[in-house]
Amino acid sequence: MEFVIISALNGVTYGLLLFMVSAGLTLIFGMMGVLNFAHASFYMLGAYIAYAVSSYFGFWTGLIVAPVIVGIVGMLVERYLLPRVHAHGHAHELLLTFGLAMIIEELIKLFFGDFPVNYQMPDNLRFAAFTVFGTDYPFYRLFIGATAITMFALLWFLLARTRIGIVVRAAERLPAMAEALGHNIPVVFMGVFGVGAALAGLAGAVAGAFYPTNPNMGLELGVIVFVVVVVGGLGSLKGSLLASLLIGLFSSYSVGLDWSLAGLFGLVGLGDWAQSIGGLMTLELSSVSATIPFALMLIVLLVRPAGLMGERN
Amino acid sequence: MTNMRNILLIAAVLVALVAVPPFLGLGWQNALVNILIASLFALAFNLLSGQAGLLSFGHAAYFGMGAFATLHLMLAIEDGLSFPTPLLPLAGAAMGLLIGVVAGFFATMRSGVYFALVTLAIAELFHSLTPHLQGFFGGESGISSMRMPWQGFVFGTVLEVYYLTLFWVVLSVMALWAYTRTPFGRLTLALRDNEQRVRFLGYNAHTSKVIIFAVSAMFSGVAGGLQAISNETANYALFSSHISAQVVLQTFVGGATIFFGPVVGAVSFTLFAYLVSDLTRSWLFYQGLIFVLVMLFAPTGIGGVVQHHLRNVRRDDWLLLAGPYALAATGGVLIAGAVIYLTETVAVLFGEEYAVQIRNAEGSLPAYEMFGAWWEPFGIATWLVPVVLLAAGGAILVKSRGNILKCWEKMGREVGEGAHEPAAPGVAK
Repeated sequence: MEFVIISALNGVTYGLLLFMVSAGLTLIFGMMGVLNFAHASFYMLGAYIAYAVSSYFGFWTGLIVAPVIVGIVGMLVERYLLPRVHAHGHAHELLLTFGLAMIIEELIKLFFGDFPVNYQMPDNLRFAAFTVFGTDYPFYRLFIGATAITMFALLWFLLARTRIGIVVRAAERLPAMAEALGHNIPVVFMGVFGVGAALAGLAGAVAGAFYPTNPNMGLELGVIVFVVVVVGGLGSLKGSLLASLLIGLFSSYSVGLDWSLAGLFGLVGLGDWAQSIGGLMTLELSSVSATIPFALMLIVLLVRPAGLMGERN
Repeated sequence: MTNMRNILLIAAVLVALVAVPPFLGLGWQNALVNILIASLFALAFNLLSGQAGLLSFGHAAYFGMGAFATLHLMLAIEDGLSFPTPLLPLAGAAMGLLIGVVAGFFATMRSGVYFALVTLAIAELFHSLTPHLQGFFGGESGISSMRMPWQGFVFGTVLEVYYLTLFWVVLSVMALWAYTRTPFGRLTLALRDNEQRVRFLGYNAHTSKVIIFAVSAMFSGVAGGLQAISNETANYALFSSHISAQVVLQTFVGGATIFFGPVVGAVSFTLFAYLVSDLTRSWLFYQGLIFVLVMLFAPTGIGGVVQHHLRNVRRDDWLLLAGPYALAATGGVLIAGAVIYLTETVAVLFGEEYAVQIRNAEGSLPAYEMFGAWWEPFGIATWLVPVVLLAAGGAILVKSRGNILKCWEKMGREVGEGAHEPAAPGVAK
């Protein structure tokens, strides 16, 4: 019981964090058809900027400054770099963002060194929110989740209830028509790219203080974020929320379970035979917890490329 | 005429590759082995990404599987199997082909971004699963073996390994070249340019793509096998995204649109790594920067720029072009100098050694040594150097860009999208 509840809490907060990063990615893809390989680098950039700023001006300043800077970087990329390669097709846009991801990673190594930095939450946030089964549950995990939920309430309100939201949705559906009606579509695209990047930056600033902040964090999270947006359906916000929670819960449960295929066969009396085969049969779920998301992504891509909630393309 | 010249050029390169290495040091021989392997891998990758237009982000999977298969055959030879050592890469080829058929069957069901994501997922599947599989992949530590002697060849020296690698690489490159001359090679290009039309002509697009994928994976497997022979060891790191990324970088910097483009990229990046990684820790940064600049300003790669000039060789007025090109190169060098200066300054000022010096100097920032001179962190000269370099280089580039455009117009031809520009590093600034 303890395992079930604690894992559920951890899984939901991790899932919400994934959602913060993947939301921007899926929005940008839905609107411009650009799969941004550098998106997870924006997450990492957010964490490092927040670390640098917070060591001089305090944690909260860092939390505000980081997404702003990352958002500006995102807008510059959209405004000055992507249009240059646009004429050569989507493959070149993919390659450009791929190169940018490398540059951001190397720049971070240049400035902060190729090792984890000591980015910590402030002491006044370091307390237990409540106690379950005799263990203190850290408040900061709830803080990460709450930040994500607040962000999304705001984003949803902006998209669904305001004039700006209507223009953005129109630009996503029929950019040419929206432009003909007199809306400045290039600015809308730049804004969406910037907001998406800023969200990733905010996620980095918040999560970097809890999880380790190192030059690999972009790459590590990046592949999982790809899994999330693919499983949820490229371009679908609701889908990526569902997939984030799914992957978050899955990874927090699977690390604690020692199920294996051999165990499954054991239920029908074939356990010894399966054990004797070894290899894949005896792998425990906890040790393949990093693999299952990719298998899931592969299956979704092959069976239903539109993902859980995406529209058929 | 041009054909004759090409043949002579290739023959000269081959003679040099055979005759020169015995006179080189051990380090260079090793570097050459790596260059050959990287070249073959990039060519195999380009069959899929350049010629068939299917961008794969997970080619490390086939490279790695080729390496593991070859090592298992080497282990079997150690245990007494009689198999000629020089034929070892065949194991890599077979494994590459096998995995390529299976992976290709699924991956080519999708196209565009989705294809790229499937290949990425397959490679990540290998990368995350192999450390946990003891039997075939040897867990996290991997497996290793020894090259066994065969018929008087001991394969103990790097030079012997080099000639073995050279033989297989030349053979494979010839096969890949021959492939492009076959009708199926033409079909590969057609699939990239207009898949729908290929289907209308009655070809089975999916089957064709699976075959192309498998051939590409097979030659990647050969490259992996050669790597295994050279290193005598392999572990799950072979499947890492770093390997997949490198081959993408090399291929597109070299130029995916022409046959030998990827070789240009593989040779320059491997040499770059060999020469520069000793000099500076920021070489990966420069590598990424070069890649992005090539993508922005010469999307067809180095090979594409060269080809653009060769194709119009008769109409090129070199006397007219030489001046502006030299000017552009000067501008490029100045800006590259500024970028390198700034990068290395950052590397020093934010480095660990300097942090210790600051602590010892108690508050003030001490002078530091770079490029054989001493610089004050707040000195005017320190920051004047890059500013002057950047300004001068930028001004020269803007000027020469206009001149070059005029030259091409004068030569009576429309200018192809930026491909006329030399891929000078630093143009973006």
